[in-house]
Amino acid sequence: MKSLKTKRPYFYILPALLFISLFIGYGIFRAGVESLGSNGSMFVHYTALLSSEEVYKTVRISLYVTVTSTLLSILIGLGITRLLYRFFTSVKWKYIVWVPIIIPHFVAAYLVFILFSQSGLLSTVLHGVNGFGLPFPLVNDQGYIGVILTYIWKEVPFVVLMLLPIYQQIDQRFEDVVRTLGGNTWQVWKTVELPWVGPVLLETGLIIFAFVIAAYEVPALLGVTYPKMFSVLVYEWFYEGSWENRPLAQALMIVLTVVMVISSLIIITISKRWKKQWAKEKIK
Amino acid sequence: MKRLFKYGLYTIILLFLLLFITFPVVVLVTKSISAGWTFPHLFPQFFTLRGWELLKSNPEIVEAIYTTVIIAVSVVMLNIIFALPVAKGISHYHFRGKTVLETIFLLPILVPSLAIAMGLHLTMIRLGLSDKLIGVILIHMLPTLPYSIRMFKAGFDQLGIKWEEQARTIGVKRLRVFWTVTFPMLAPNIRSVALLSYVISLSQYALTAIIGGGVVTTLPMIYYPFFNSADQMVIAAFSIVFAILPILFLMVLEVFMKIYVHIVKR
Amino acid sequence: MKRLVYFETIIVLIFLAGCVNEKDQNSTDVLSKEWSQIEKSGEGQTVHLFMWGGDEGINKYFDDYVIPELKDRYAINLERHPMDTADFIAKLQTEKQAGKTKGTMDIIWINGESFRKAKQNELLLGDFATKLPNLKNYIGIEEPFVKFDTGTAIEGEEAPWGKVQFTFIYDEARVKNPPQSFKELIEWVKANPNRFTYPNVKDFTGNAFIRQLMYSVAKDPGMISGEFNESWINGNGQKVWNKLNEMKPYLWRNGETHPDSLAQLDKMYANGQVDFTMGFNEKRIKSLIKDGVFPPSTKTLVFDSGSIGNTHYLSIPFNSSNPAAAMTAINFMLSPEAQMKKMEPHMWGEGSVLNQEKLTNEQLRRFKKIWGRSIVPSDAVLSDLDTEYADWIKENWENEVVKN
Repeated sequence: MKSLKTKRPYFYILPALLFISLFIGYGIFRAGVESLGSNGSMFVHYTALLSSEEVYKTVRISLYVTVTSTLLSILIGLGITRLLYRFFTSVKWKYIVWVPIIIPHFVAAYLVFILFSQSGLLSTVLHGVNGFGLPFPLVNDQGYIGVILTYIWKEVPFVVLMLLPIYQQIDQRFEDVVRTLGGNTWQVWKTVELPWVGPVLLETGLIIFAFVIAAYEVPALLGVTYPKMFSVLVYEWFYEGSWENRPLAQALMIVLTVVMVISSLIIITISKRWKKQWAKEKIK
Repeated sequence: MKRLFKYGLYTIILLFLLLFITFPVVVLVTKSISAGWTFPHLFPQFFTLRGWELLKSNPEIVEAIYTTVIIAVSVVMLNIIFALPVAKGISHYHFRGKTVLETIFLLPILVPSLAIAMGLHLTMIRLGLSDKLIGVILIHMLPTLPYSIRMFKAGFDQLGIKWEEQARTIGVKRLRVFWTVTFPMLAPNIRSVALLSYVISLSQYALTAIIGGGVVTTLPMIYYPFFNSADQMVIAAFSIVFAILPILFLMVLEVFMKIYVHIVKR
Repeated sequence: MKRLVYFETIIVLIFLAGCVNEKDQNSTDVLSKEWSQIEKSGEGQTVHLFMWGGDEGINKYFDDYVIPELKDRYAINLERHPMDTADFIAKLQTEKQAGKTKGTMDIIWINGESFRKAKQNELLLGDFATKLPNLKNYIGIEEPFVKFDTGTAIEGEEAPWGKVQFTFIYDEARVKNPPQSFKELIEWVKANPNRFTYPNVKDFTGNAFIRQLMYSVAKDPGMISGEFNESWINGNGQKVWNKLNEMKPYLWRNGETHPDSLAQLDKMYANGQVDFTMGFNEKRIKSLIKDGVFPPSTKTLVFDSGSIGNTHYLSIPFNSSNPAAAMTAINFMLSPEAQMKKMEPHMWGEGSVLNQEKLTNEQLRRFKKIWGRSIVPSDAVLSDLDTEYADWIKENWENEVVKN
């Protein structure tokens, strides 16, 4: 019985672990095998990636879109939660925050399209003012503004959803202590909120980042012909043409996977330390 | 005075939020019933239900709604069943390799699904599950399970281990503790998990296309080719269907949870 | 929770252990049978048709006509599944790798590049087309488009199903003097900045736009209408890009981005963002005007020098579960009745593949009645270019034009 007790956590996670390793494990294995060159030069496709200007541009635009969307979503989401968490405890209409969550990404992309494209509502309203509509494009634009807007609209509520329970746990008295000691809002944030919220923010950021950098639908619908984001480029390499770029596509995906796995290991470790440290301080 | 100002500020922010969130939806609804509402006409030429009628008269769409809902509900249930033990294990126990395991549980959202699409398809074909409903249900577990685990973990973190221990010291059986104490206390997390996995399942295109092989026709399968079609009314109406389905689901879910809590309380 | 976890583990293990392959009889057996046998064994079966599903008219043609007729005549249930061509070809390839011998696709709609890819990777059933009575009786197996699909030898692996011609579509209210040649089109674009664009060349129609331009660059159409002519490309390829770059600054969005698909260009045209759209099917505008999607002043246009004609085909994958029923269904779709119905503008409204000389006078009369006077005189049809030209365009366009 004793042995079961120490093994219990492993036992709890076993089914899901088996499930994930079966599908993801084999998937990554296949991708890895296909990304390797056949005769002699194993990493020929990886070196090809390095020397491609298109890939460089794709990495740049993908990072730009992903970092911008993630940071803005986190900041706006955090701001909204901080301002409104006391309101949301009682008020039923916190359900409106759920609205963007229940709408699929491609429908959100369509919403951005009908509002911000050059034939969209904003442009139509401007047309009444200046006679020609939007002076510069917001959708299918090289700055990927439409894509970023879509992600912000979708992810801000997600951030709120992740943060709200944490904020509602924070003991009001901590804030009162800091305030009576003469602390300002910044100090309240630093000493009271951050230790609680920080780890969750990191993990939420990781989830959004991972999602945005690999998602296909939104950039496919609202992006531009050149430069393309990761998934759009890979999709093209993978499915279109005569399939000769398939190993390249797999190599690019493997690189992205490795980067994402390593960064998530780091982020989870940091967030754990943070939590532990805070737990110790609380006991003190 | 300061208080009044503060409440004023709150109201303004809330109103802004309301606008930010609901305005696009209002435009969408209007778009679904207006003809000729195109640049540079600021107002629709006339209103018509043609878009909705086209949707309604399409037997394909009605059938796809069935398929989609069956898949999504199964995905929700499987998520709850599979994610609960994992979340409890991660939250309430300390053990070796936990960080690595947590990363493994995040893998499905860390790995770009395009990268593993072919491997997944091969696996599913060999298991005899490709082109079948059950295959699609299983594959939808991948993009949903990581979220569910994290959300349940947050719930267990908050709950702590004390509740269960207390209940057990007064001699309640483990399983009973779970159904009468843990489960009801996790209600908010269950609601989040259910809704999120429902919505994620509802919005899967690529995975469904590959594993369902076009035979398992869910709504996105039909929506996607339509996205760029010139007939805006139909797409707008179609888009609304995607928003209505989760709302209906949430309502049913609330009813079930109320009944459950009611039964347990007795 | 312990019991739950035991249960879950068992379920997952069952799946892990379930790696068993089904063994089936070979699909190609059907090819050695007589037609009457084939028709008989197809009876009562279900066939799954995979095709691009973004056009209401095409979908309607199936739902309102082909599906009920097949049921009536041959007791065949046809199910239509919308899927992008590139996706189902990739699916077939994976199924081939996994050794899936009993697939879900029975009929696929392909042409040009997708056909070449499928044929090269042996994803098709084989020579079924020459067995179809309607192909023999109403089209003839010696027709060039029955033997070659944009440069690839067909060898009976696909059956021609429809013929279309490249046309420009414009709004008469906004384009007073429509251009009659590529030269005039470029002039028009320069005079009307931001009002014209073409789809990404990865799109079928976008690519055809450039192939159409190539005919105008080539002094003699014969230079490029045959097999891929590399020396012509080396000498004249740059001229093609020059023409496109000449237009580029005056295109919609200064040519920095292009609509991803014809459907998107159509949407832009319907929204009044541009004054032209294009496409391979001139009749489709009728239903779009009727539904209020396109303005009533929409007209079609073919340059004086003629325009590219394109044939599209139906085929059967290597692992079709019901090849006999698939052949019966395809044969029906090549029948004069089905082809005639397909031409009706309120259905699909696209050209027939049938050979006029092989029709009876009565049939011919009915054909003329539906089709009316063709908008495009048929002598202005230029044969479509070898697929290698399409590849050349795809490989170079982004570098030569978009990034420029």
